[in-house]
This record gives sequence, C-alpha cells and structure tokens, in this order.
Amino acid sequence: MAFLIRTIDFTATGREIVRDRVAEQASLTIGRAAENDIHLPDLAVEQRHVRIDTRADGTLSVEALGTLGFGLDGRVVTEGVIDPRTGGEIALGAARLAVARESDGSTSITIRQVVAEEGKTDALRGFALASVLPSKRAMSWVFSSAILLLLLAIPVTSHLLRTPAKPDPTGKTPGTVLLDSAWSSGELSSKHHTLADNCESCHVAAFESVQDETCVSCHKDIGEHAARPRLAKGSPPLSPGDALQWRIGESLGKEGPLGCVACHSEHEGPVRTQAGSEAFCGDCHEKLDTRLTDTDLANAHDFGKAHPQLRPIYYASFGAAGPVRAAPGTRPIERSGLKFPHDVHMSRTGGAARMAVSLGQYGKPLDCKDCHVLTPDRMSFREVKMEDACEGCHSLVSGRTAVGGFSKLRHGDVKDLAEDLARISSGPRPRVAAGPARQRPGQIGSASPYRADFGRPVRAYIGLSNALGPGGVCTECHLPTRGPTGQADLVPVNLPDRFLTSSFFNHEAHTKQKCSDCHAAETSKAASDLLMPDLKSCRTCHLGASAVKTAKIVPSDCAMCHAYHLPAGQWSAKGAPPHYKPPPPPPTSESAAAKLAKARP
Amino acid sequence: MATKAGGTGRFTQDEKRRDSDHVSFLKHRSFRWLWIALLLSGAAIAGYLMIDQQPRPNGGTWYGYTLGTIGVLLILWLSLLGVRKRRINPGAWSLKAWTSAHVYLGLSLIVIGTLHTGFQIGWNVHTLAYVLMLLVIATGIYGVAVYATLPASLSANRKEMTRAQMLDALTAIDRQLESAAQPLGREDADLVIAAMNQDPFSLGVIGRLTGNFYGSCRTHYALTELEDDEPGMERVYPLLEKRLAQLDQIRGQLRIRALLEVWLFVHIPLTIALIAALTAHVISVFYYW
Repeated sequence: MAFLIRTIDFTATGREIVRDRVAEQASLTIGRAAENDIHLPDLAVEQRHVRIDTRADGTLSVEALGTLGFGLDGRVVTEGVIDPRTGGEIALGAARLAVARESDGSTSITIRQVVAEEGKTDALRGFALASVLPSKRAMSWVFSSAILLLLLAIPVTSHLLRTPAKPDPTGKTPGTVLLDSAWSSGELSSKHHTLADNCESCHVAAFESVQDETCVSCHKDIGEHAARPRLAKGSPPLSPGDALQWRIGESLGKEGPLGCVACHSEHEGPVRTQAGSEAFCGDCHEKLDTRLTDTDLANAHDFGKAHPQLRPIYYASFGAAGPVRAAPGTRPIERSGLKFPHDVHMSRTGGAARMAVSLGQYGKPLDCKDCHVLTPDRMSFREVKMEDACEGCHSLVSGRTAVGGFSKLRHGDVKDLAEDLARISSGPRPRVAAGPARQRPGQIGSASPYRADFGRPVRAYIGLSNALGPGGVCTECHLPTRGPTGQADLVPVNLPDRFLTSSFFNHEAHTKQKCSDCHAAETSKAASDLLMPDLKSCRTCHLGASAVKTAKIVPSDCAMCHAYHLPAGQWSAKGAPPHYKPPPPPPTSESAAAKLAKARP
Repeated sequence: MATKAGGTGRFTQDEKRRDSDHVSFLKHRSFRWLWIALLLSGAAIAGYLMIDQQPRPNGGTWYGYTLGTIGVLLILWLSLLGVRKRRINPGAWSLKAWTSAHVYLGLSLIVIGTLHTGFQIGWNVHTLAYVLMLLVIATGIYGVAVYATLPASLSANRKEMTRAQMLDALTAIDRQLESAAQPLGREDADLVIAAMNQDPFSLGVIGRLTGNFYGSCRTHYALTELEDDEPGMERVYPLLEKRLAQLDQIRGQLRIRALLEVWLFVHIPLTIALIAALTAHVISVFYYW
C-alpha cells in the first residue's frame, strides 16, 4: 500500500511549488513532531495528532492520537473513515489534507495551507432571516410614517387650511377636508346620509364636539320637549361613570346630557333614528313628581301598568271661550250646543234608518263614515258640515224658485237665515201669464201677485221666531237661546277638532275595529255624552312595551302615541318637510253663532 | 435536598434561584401573570355586560373610554419590552417576569380591545388600529408557539455542528469537487461550477419559509443532469451527493430559523405601526368629537 504525499506551497510571489513523495507503508502519522510521516509545523497541531490506517476493504481509518480532534470534511471528529474513491478532507490547523484515489490505484494525500477566512462571521449572517428581509426598523418607519401621514397629517392640515363653509343639508357641497372619511367611525343615519362626504358640516371646529347650534341651523322648527331647566330638574341623577364623563366632557366644551348629540348619537349605521324606548321615557316620567314637584303631569312608565287616565278636552259650558281637559276619573258632560242623539241616527231600524234607505245618497241605514271623514293625517276627523252630513234629511228647502228649482235657507249665520225667511214671506212672484189663461175677476188666490203685494206682513216675523224657537226648523238640532238684546238666537256650536291633544291616535291603524268598539255611539242618547274611550278600553289590546305579544295584545311603548320633540304629533318620515313642525294650538270650532257674535257690533 | 424548602440558607436560596432559572417564562411564579390577565379580562367582560351603556356600547361611553385608556396604556407598556430587554441593570426588574406579563397581558388585550370597539367594525382608522393590534397579538402567539417547539428541531437539524462548521464542510466538499472534476468535459464541468458557485443563502423569504429549495438548486440540477456511471463521475457524483446533503442541512437550518424569526419581522414593525395608528385614532376621535 502506498501513499502519494503531495505538498503544495506558494512562493512569496505566489508561484506554486509542488513536491511529491511516496510513502510505501499501510499507515501514516501526522503531527507537529519531526518523526511523523507528515510533518506539519503548526502550533495548532499536536505533536502526534492523527494516524491513518489502511483497512482491509481499501478504506482509510483516520483516528486522533490525543484528545484533540481533527476536521474531517468540515466537521470536528476524533475518528473517521475515508473512502479514497470518493475522497475526503482532513483539516489540521491551517493545513488541509485532501485524500483521493489516483488513477494508478494509490492513495494521494494533497497538503495545502489555507488562509484563515476573513468575514466568516459575515457569512454566518446568511443563516438569519434578517439577511433577506428589510430591517425591522426600516419597516417600522415606513408603516408608521405612512399611517401618520395619510390618516393624521393630511386630514388635519387640510382641515386647518380649508375655507369654512355653511352646512349644506342637501349634501351637494362636497367636503374639503382630505381623507377624513377614514376617521368616520360608522355610516351616518339614513336621514343624514347626504352629509357623509362633508364631515365638517357637523364637525365644525377642531377638538370641539358637535354643537346644538349646528344641528339647529338645519332643524330650525324642532321643538323642545320642555324648557331646559325643567328637563334638567326632571331628569334622574346620572350614574357616577356618566356623571364623571359629562363633567370632563363639559369642561372641554361638550354640551351636556341635554344637548342634541347626547341622545342622537350618530355614525351608528344607515338606520332611521329610533324613537326613544319606554325605558328612555320612564327614566324621567316614572317618578317625575319626586323631582319636578310642581308638575301637572302624572307619573307614567308602562302603558299597561302605570299610565294616567286619558283626559280629553271638551267644552264644559255652552258658548265657552275654550275647551277644558277632563278631570281624571270623571264623566264629562259636553256642552257642544247641539242636540244630537247618536242612538237615533245609528239605529238600524228606526226612522232615521228608514229615511236613509229611501235616499239615494245613502241607500242603507246610516254609518259613522256618512258623517265623519278622516283628516289626511289619519289622526282626527274633519269638521262635520251641516250641508254635507245633515241636510240630506234635515232639509232647509224653503220653496220653489221661478226657474223650477228649489230655494233653501242658508245655514250657518242667523242673519242669512233672516234674509232668506223674509224673501219667502214676500215670496217670489209668479210671472204674469202671457198666454190665454185669463184670471177671473175676484179670484185672489194665495199665489196671486195681489196676495203677495197686499197680504199681511206678519209671516216673516213669525217665520224667524218660529224657526229659531222651540219646534222650529233650527231647533231640530240647535239649542235656542236669546241674544244680548233679547232676540231669538241659537247656542253657538263648540266642538274641539281633536280631543286628545297630548298624544296622537292613528284611526287608520285601527280599521280592524268598529268605531263603536271604542266610541259608545250606538247607545248614546244625548249630545252631552263625551264619546271618548277611556284608558281601560285602550288596554284591552295595548299593554306596556314589556308585555308579551299575542294575537290580541300589542306591546306598546310610549312612542306609539307620544313624540318627544312634539308630544301631540306623530313623528313621520313621510310628507313634506319639516314633518316635525308643531301644529297650531287646537282652535275652537267656529260655529254659526260665533260668527254671528263677531259680526255684531 | 438536605435543607428544607423555604429555608434561609445561602445554598437553599441559590438552589431556588437556579431552579427558577429553568422555569419557563410562561410558568413564571405559578402563572401569576396568567391569573392577573384572566382577572382583568373577566372584569372587563363582566363590566361590559353589567354596565348599561347608553345609547349603545362603543368606545364613546364612559366604560368605552375606560377600556380604551387601559388598552392604550397596556399597548405602550407592552411595547417597552424591547427597551427593557436591552437594559441590563440591577434591581427588581426580572426580565422573565416582564416577558411573562408581556405575553399574558398582551393576550388580555384581545378582550379589552374588542370590548372597546363595541363590536363596531368598519373601514376606518379606528378599526385599522384594532386589526393591527390583533395582528401583533397573533404574531406574538405564533412567536411563543415556535419558541416552544422549533428550537428542538433546530438543534436536531444541527447534528452537533455549528453553523461555521456547516459552511466549512461545504467548502471542504467544494475543494474536493474542484480536483475531482478535473477529468470532466466542458458541459459537465460547467454543471459542477454552477453548483459550486451558488450561494447557499441565495434563498428568498418565501423559499426559506416554505422549504421549497430544489426548484433553483444547481447542485440538485447537476445531479439530475449527470450520470453516475459516466467515466470520471465515480468521485464527482458522490461528492455532489454529499454537497446536496450538506446543503440540505444548511437549508433546514435556514428554514427553521426563518420560521423562528419571521414573526418578529411582523410583530415589531406592526407594533410601531399600531402606535402610529393609535395616535391617529385618539387624535381623530377628539378632533372630530
């Protein structure tokens, strides 16, 4: 077995010097000592460091002679095997001994000195992921600067540099602040949606909460629920957390818990503003009298359990200047000035019914709707007009006109009536017959011009006082009275347009019910009955919001009948804006007599 | 143990310290910070359910502001771990306790942050901050998970070699290849040169993370192109196989280290981005109050 030992050195000029020698032996020793077969003058090498033996199968076993290992193909070991056919490399100090099989079958060991690699630690950095990624610091800078620039610096700068514009509720004015849509915490409510691109229409000044003044600049007609000091007094105490938040907020310029935005919180999604819940109303109204001691309002919080009796308004005396509210629990006697027994008119068999059947305009017994017509807002009914509702039966026809029609007494004003009656008395003259029908002398008939011209003039006076007096045509429905100078007159008709003025009642929503289910008209014998239903009749179907909904029971919160900003009106998204405009105070129905009284000096 | 537990002798104390040195930061002080974090989260949930927030729960109620304040303070404190771990100073500042608190309080931020949103999510700076926070927490969870599992496989992959030795081995193989490949023809020699010249670290992030190495590996390519029974191949082919095996070990190291380190490249920049987004969130909320 022979080893070809080839040493490669370099001269100072870089020229390679190759020395070959052959060692005819089966094993070799390598070390720093001179007696070794391969002598390596390197302090990092042991005196006798490694021995190489040829094994039976032709491979070489390499073994450290001391405790110090050696490098074999890059890894530090104390013993190893090299197959000369594939070769191997032994590292000892700075020397690299490459073992290979030569073409002649001998094993060559080529010894080279390597220069210690510089920048090896740099090479090790390649193991770290950082070597192929941008540094964390650089990424941090990029991300955070992008966020601060786009989401903070640009909106703030453009807000500060803009020219403030007035709010435009139509939404046609686009906002001038850039990128502030990224600040929106949610979509605006349906009604405010047109303002979505114009944040500064509501958020006017920097670091200032949305002010009532801004809301009211569009919502000019909004009504206050009550005066602010009374609202404040009637409100229940805030929770400690809320109180602290409001104290901090108010010290920073936020309007208090009575400001618009305290209830109307925005950016909650594209929904309609919800009416306050029963609990919301109950917060104040459940024990209102304990805080607002001088209030006229009774406590209320649950329609089924705690709601004051309904108090319709009505005229308590004939010719009163205004209506009064019924005291709770009383049976009001209405002094409308009319005689009107509902039972007679609603009877399916009586004289009124027979007469209605015989008239073309009805054709059947009278129904409520024959006289009472809903107003467009579905809440109340139009004024009942004598000419439309009564005159079909209660005729005021006074005679035939010359052209073949009928003349009738005018309704509504006693002066008109007097004129019409006087005309009857003088009577329209029949035209003098131009034809051959000659009158025989001495025949002075009732229809003759003579009678008209020379008849007694008392009939007119009798007629007026008869008409206004007991048994007269007017007193079929009206109550007779005497005027200031003792002349015959009628009691003025007073009926409110709406009976429940602090809430609203949608009649259209109740068409499943018959009118008489709530209004006891079929049994009412006199006009003095106030046919308004009481709380109990409402509660047969309506209970509080917490009630269980069944086929019959309707859980009803306060907002079903009451509105916050407009206690008497219904909040409605329909109709021409402003839908929340408070109606004028309920006017008294102007009766004929009232007009008459006004006309008189 | 000769002395009773809880003794005051110096040996006992030293033993205690040495024992505690080997307790994971997750188990630090019998999960003290886990309990504190659970307590904090439980209290936040209970408050959310019990406190009537009008008109609806969100970041703008007093409870929402409270949660938001706790959240932002926690985030700022948690981000100071990077500062704390670089300051080696005396005093009762156990880095392990700090890390334990960092992990568990960071997790409790999921609860606090989510309740602060009131479950109102949108395309805005507020949700950006929330999502960044969740991403930071998610990468943190990943980091804890891989720190618990991957070092073992990293160690197994090393087979008692240092990184420098792995590179040395590759160099040794290359030197042998250089001489062994002398008899080869031009084409074959080019394949060997290409294999030797390829930087073992030339893999990109995706390559490192997926462990999909062979697509661009020249050594692998050379092995598929060369025939091991051709003349002159009897040394080159086994050497190339050795080279590929060595490369596999190095690349295994690269893959495991990438999996072990990648979360920090998301965790840290996103933390800084989160602080920026939080700043924008807080300022914008009060700018448009």
